[in-house]
Amino acid sequence: MASERPLLTITPGASTPDEAPSPRPPAASQLPPAQPEPPLRPDRLAFSVEVPDPFCPSRRGDGPDPSASSQREREDDGDGGESRAVTIGDPLTSEAFPGNSIRTAKYSVLTFLPRNLFEQFRRLSYIYFLVITVLNQLPQVAVFGRGASVLPLAFVLFVTAVKDAYEDFRRHRSDRQENNRLASVLVPGTDSEFQPKKWKKIRVGDVVRMASSETLPADMVLLATSDPSGVAHVQTVNLDGETNLKTRYAKQETQVRFSQNGSIGGVLHCERPNRNIYGFQANLEIDDNRVSLGPSNIVLRGCELKNTTWAIGVVVYAGKETKVMLNNSGAPSKRSRLETQLNRETVILSIMLIGMCTTASVLAGIWVLNHRGELEFTQFFREKDYTTGKNYNYYGVGMQIFITFLMAVIVYQVIIPISLYISMELVRLGQAYFMGADKDLYDESSRSKFQCRALNINEDLGQIRYVFSDKTGTLTENKMEFQCTSIHGVDYSCGKDTDRYSVVVGDHLWTPKMAVKIDPQLVKLLRNGGTNKEAKLVLEFFIALAACNTIVPLVLNTRDHKQKLIDYQGESPDEQALAYAAASYGIVLVERTSGYIVIDVLGDRQRFDILGLHEFDSDRKRMSVIVGCPDQTVKLYVKDKLQNGVPEAIESLRQADIKVWILTGDKQETAISIGYSYGTSLVYILETELQEELFELATQCSVVLCCRVAPLQKAGIVALIKNRTDDMTLAIGDGANDVSMIQMADVGVGISGQEGRQAVMASDFSMGQFRFLVPLLYVLYTAFTLTTAITEWSSLLYTVLYTSLPTIVIGILDKDLSKATVLAYPKLYGSGQRDEKYNVNMFVLNMLEALWQSLVVFYIPYFAYKQSTIDISSLGDLWALAPVIVVNIQLAMDIIRWNWIIHAFVWGTVSATTICLFVIDSIWVLPGYG
Amino acid sequence: MGKMTKRRLGNSVISAFLLVGVIFVPIGLASLSASKEIVELVDRYDTSCVSVADKVGFIQNSKTDKTCTRTLTVPRHMKSPIHIYYQIGDFYQNHRRYVKSRSDKQLRYKEAAHLTKDCEPEGNTADGAPIVPCGLIAWSLFNDTYKVSINKKAIEVNKKDIAWQSDKNNKFGSNVYPSNFQKGNLVGGAKLNESIPLSEQEDLIVWMRTAALPTFRKLYGRIETDIMENDQLTVVIQNNYNTYSFGGSKALVLSTTSWIGGKNNFIGIAYLTIGGLCIFLAAVFIVLYMIKPRYVMFPLV
Repeated sequence: MASERPLLTITPGASTPDEAPSPRPPAASQLPPAQPEPPLRPDRLAFSVEVPDPFCPSRRGDGPDPSASSQREREDDGDGGESRAVTIGDPLTSEAFPGNSIRTAKYSVLTFLPRNLFEQFRRLSYIYFLVITVLNQLPQVAVFGRGASVLPLAFVLFVTAVKDAYEDFRRHRSDRQENNRLASVLVPGTDSEFQPKKWKKIRVGDVVRMASSETLPADMVLLATSDPSGVAHVQTVNLDGETNLKTRYAKQETQVRFSQNGSIGGVLHCERPNRNIYGFQANLEIDDNRVSLGPSNIVLRGCELKNTTWAIGVVVYAGKETKVMLNNSGAPSKRSRLETQLNRETVILSIMLIGMCTTASVLAGIWVLNHRGELEFTQFFREKDYTTGKNYNYYGVGMQIFITFLMAVIVYQVIIPISLYISMELVRLGQAYFMGADKDLYDESSRSKFQCRALNINEDLGQIRYVFSDKTGTLTENKMEFQCTSIHGVDYSCGKDTDRYSVVVGDHLWTPKMAVKIDPQLVKLLRNGGTNKEAKLVLEFFIALAACNTIVPLVLNTRDHKQKLIDYQGESPDEQALAYAAASYGIVLVERTSGYIVIDVLGDRQRFDILGLHEFDSDRKRMSVIVGCPDQTVKLYVKDKLQNGVPEAIESLRQADIKVWILTGDKQETAISIGYSYGTSLVYILETELQEELFELATQCSVVLCCRVAPLQKAGIVALIKNRTDDMTLAIGDGANDVSMIQMADVGVGISGQEGRQAVMASDFSMGQFRFLVPLLYVLYTAFTLTTAITEWSSLLYTVLYTSLPTIVIGILDKDLSKATVLAYPKLYGSGQRDEKYNVNMFVLNMLEALWQSLVVFYIPYFAYKQSTIDISSLGDLWALAPVIVVNIQLAMDIIRWNWIIHAFVWGTVSATTICLFVIDSIWVLPGYG
Repeated sequence: MGKMTKRRLGNSVISAFLLVGVIFVPIGLASLSASKEIVELVDRYDTSCVSVADKVGFIQNSKTDKTCTRTLTVPRHMKSPIHIYYQIGDFYQNHRRYVKSRSDKQLRYKEAAHLTKDCEPEGNTADGAPIVPCGLIAWSLFNDTYKVSINKKAIEVNKKDIAWQSDKNNKFGSNVYPSNFQKGNLVGGAKLNESIPLSEQEDLIVWMRTAALPTFRKLYGRIETDIMENDQLTVVIQNNYNTYSFGGSKALVLSTTSWIGGKNNFIGIAYLTIGGLCIFLAAVFIVLYMIKPRYVMFPLV
């Protein structure tokens, strides 16, 4: 059954992909003598039989005796990779392997300061600010007071560090919680004495006993389960996002041995830890027998045991070597596109700055040269100290130029906006808060609200062009409902009331978890139990719905102990929907084991033996089950699967001109036919020059489906797009297998379109900074000596407070379109995507605008007070206040939706600035005093 | 002006332009007429007061007679109070070396006389005693004097209250007296009466409020009588201050005052220009709106 399926081999390094598609490698015949295999359900992970056993010598074409191959030889075997030996129940022999504690946090108490500073100083502008601050410490060049010049940089570093520390603290906390969870572990040396042990203390080789609904602490090979045939069900939702139950098996050898002896010994040889969550190769030496183990024998960390009372396994990979952790390539610090752009513009501005400083210092040199002979008696220069007769603080023209240059750097540093970096941090914090508080982003069913995990990429949300989705389910909510049916040509589609049918089991009442709209006509037909042909057909139909699936019913307790809920766990949502529908009509699937199912048919409990099962596949487009009915007849039920409708969500995204790539490890029925032809080749594509073709082809399409993609391949595809285009990418996913993809994409988990406020940021960026031209122009009137008319305190307050506060508030609160409008017209999203709000042209335009405004702000007071008694600090105050007013008025014009908070901040800033200027000028200790 | 927006050219836009125009034009007219009302006499005297070729040598020589008489005719009736300013050109009072060369603490507190660090090279005398007031600004205090007579009749120039009251009260101490001032090898400017506290040395206080621009005026005193049209104004100048070494200029300014301050047409013209432009644009938009009442692209400033 499974062997008919094309196979995608996703084992990096272990076996070579070109061998994979061969349905039955020769190795299979060389396997140890046939063991009674456990009942093999066709599960997609059950392709272990097809995977060549790397430990099998025949693959290398040497010695025929498998036991002759020693471990050393295996380690030398470049083809199969090195292996590790694990003695079951004896963790001491495996001391060399890492323990089970995990660590996702970026910093520790000791490394926080250096690492966080390093992270922060990745921003070019921070280095720039550092240089400025250092320069200002030199007494020859000090323009501002030493303390005052350190303050802004220190403030920004501090705010950011506190934010990062808090985020990392939360990661530490969750690590600690995870590491201190308890699992029941076999005490070494004993036969069956299990004691609770913290997860972090678990070592490779430990035997762990798991109970139902427990999360597994490490990657383990199953040894025995409560089911006599060795079956265990696990839910891998944390791992790959799939909510259905998967079946894993304990080998019969160990299962039997456990039930006889109560303990298991033996040595396990398994491959080295790798990232492939769908592959596992190992063999077990037990009682001088060699048993080969495959992916269906291993349960992975993060999975949950379901529907199985208990299971016992031996830890083979622990902690950071578990597959889930290996697939989690560490939390990188993401930088938003706006930030990258800012860094680039910082470089441009730095070049401008150097130009300005050079000009100023050369002009200063020319001035000194022109006045060379006069400087001795010029009152305002006073070249010489007459008490000593030597030059005072004057070292010649060259030095004068150099010092002027350094001072110019300090004075004009405002051209690069430190306030913008503070604003950005705070705007993100605020946006994250409001996104979290958004009721529309609140999921009632899971009671979870939107969480913003990485604060620094909010503004990119408005610019997404590619969406990489884990699967349709993520986009479509993974929920299906039974709406109507047609049985033997008769249409029953007037479902109205929702009703739940309950089954009496002992003194308990079992009710299906989900209610479905039912058609009263159909119910009548069923209940009357008529013997006519129609009623019979309908009954058969519903029994087929209940029987012909791979659903596993889970019985959940409710608060009322008489009442129990049946939760149907299945591979696909349509199966669940059909089973729930059948249940609502009174045909309730109550129990399923590997051999039989129990269905409550209108109160009559019936047991059906499963004689054969043919799962759904894309060629037959149906599923069949052969059951032995209680009345000794054998029936074949054939069921058509519902086609997964093309999700409307994708349609809407398409309208917004966002390209949707669905990358799934799942076998979504809609994706499967495309996925097969595509998926098998993906391995090669990603590794070869075919990349180019894939890219060419795929970018033409607006929806691309990739199936059976391993987590790292997902990341590979995302990286492909990211590297080849400038477009923004967003990855959505819900399982751990999406982690690497999410981390690779520009934006991780997405949310509904809340447009970043790049426009405001951009205009603040240039507008706020045009004040730098005021000191620049003033230099023309100070013999190029960089006297600052605006006091250093005004300068500081300006950058930190006057212009950034309203920007922050507006960045957080203003929206250019209402939520309803955006949802109704997805095309509108395009404006953010095309970077209309913020691109290089905008930057140039904004700078020109800033130039014009600064000319006006400088020259109107200049001409108004030319040849008057005006003194420096009065004119300086005017030059300090005017930009604040202009910036805020311009900001006010950019605001699309006013509210009272925005009013308060915009106008409040102007008045606050005025008050601050008064205070600075009238308090004795402050430098502007006068 | 980077953003263009498509917006219906409605009443709000037109009325915004009209509003600005209607407010600005009267302000402009008022400022301009106030500026025109002001009578201002400017007489540059630095070149004509020194007839010898070596001007620097002349001004540095303490033996030469530096008296200089200027005669001016008043063109219009000047209403009292008439302010007398001295105007110095190309004197960079905002030069970095200069503007920092002072000790505010010393000016205010008697105990802070030793705080002369920022004042070098005019902080201490050769034998180490602190100079009060120290620094280049004080050292270069302006020392030309003017004696005014109208129609040959001497007029008193009131030199009281020429400094800011706040400066006198808060920045210059009433118990701080000048000491060791102007005792060095090079005399920069005026000397101070060591028996008068700094808070009463108004010329110094005015001088130490450093000018923002290299050509500046500073208040010298006031004449509290009206001067009639065509009156003969004679000013006897003691031309002591050296602007010759750096190519600066000196001028005497007499000016009446009004609410707008000194004579300056710029503000009025600026208001009129902007206001006129706004009214013009409003008119253009009204015409456009009447011809084609539809969407028009215009910049969202």
